[in-house]
Amino acid sequence: MAPTSASGDQTSDKDNWDNGRLARRQQLLTKIVLRNKLKTIVFNGDTTCRVLEQVLLRSYGVQTQCVDNGRDAIALIAFGAKFNLIIIKKILPIINGLEAGNKADSLNGSGCKILGVTACSGESERQAFMAIGVDVFIEKPLDPEHLVPILRELDGE
Amino acid sequence: MDLAALKTQLKNFVQSMFEEGVLDNQFSQIQALQDSTNPNFVEEVITLFCNDAERIINEINRNLGYQNVDFSNLDSYVHQLKGSSSSIGANRLKLACANLRQASDERNKEGCLQALQLITCEYCLLRRKFQALLHLERSIVELETNQK
Repeated sequence: MAPTSASGDQTSDKDNWDNGRLARRQQLLTKIVLRNKLKTIVFNGDTTCRVLEQVLLRSYGVQTQCVDNGRDAIALIAFGAKFNLIIIKKILPIINGLEAGNKADSLNGSGCKILGVTACSGESERQAFMAIGVDVFIEKPLDPEHLVPILRELDGE
Repeated sequence: MDLAALKTQLKNFVQSMFEEGVLDNQFSQIQALQDSTNPNFVEEVITLFCNDAERIINEINRNLGYQNVDFSNLDSYVHQLKGSSSSIGANRLKLACANLRQASDERNKEGCLQALQLITCEYCLLRRKFQALLHLERSIVELETNQK
């Protein structure tokens, strides 16, 4: 059952800035050490989100590649790049994110997880993502709460 | 102003933005991602976000200027803006997007125009506050660099 929920972190915002920053980072970023080199591809047409997700993933030591349109995404995988995790959005230039996700999944082979991220998580969105077989579907933003369990699972295999 | 005072001022300023609902916890995530390997991350993300947001708001404006509004096109822009807003933790702006989404779903042009006004308002407020925030951040960095 793929969970869908908005991000929510119960930590207090009243931490002291200085010492707080390191502690908050530890709290918010749940340090995990990956045993294996994980590779992710992020399909995202939107700069702000793309940069954020890339930095978040890299802070966990995940090698990340971003493409900003569906066609490049498919091309990358068709040319033999292999990924552990595919993160997709619905709205992409050239080829719709769902179509790209579908093709990407079939080209990439097994052992890969697909994560669908969306700004609006209505029922129809959810179903559209489920139809292409995403493993997890979350509402933006992508956060450690959702990412860490996925990374752990991928690392454990 | 000394370094400690500046840092407190920044902390309080960000805190006030949380309390007003202008920012939510996602912004804390972004702050947490800034470190020695990524020393200007907050500034970079804010800049990117503002560029994205302004571009999208202009597009929405343009779209609503037509006699026959292309609502599905509009929908895709709102979707993007909502996405960026939630990614940076711009809480009120994100909520304002929901209004526009609804009006767009209802094919209600007048409603869209009103919702756009609110979005523009919220965005301007946010940008002003971000500018103040960055100004404080830069002052802190400058002081810290000079002290080394």
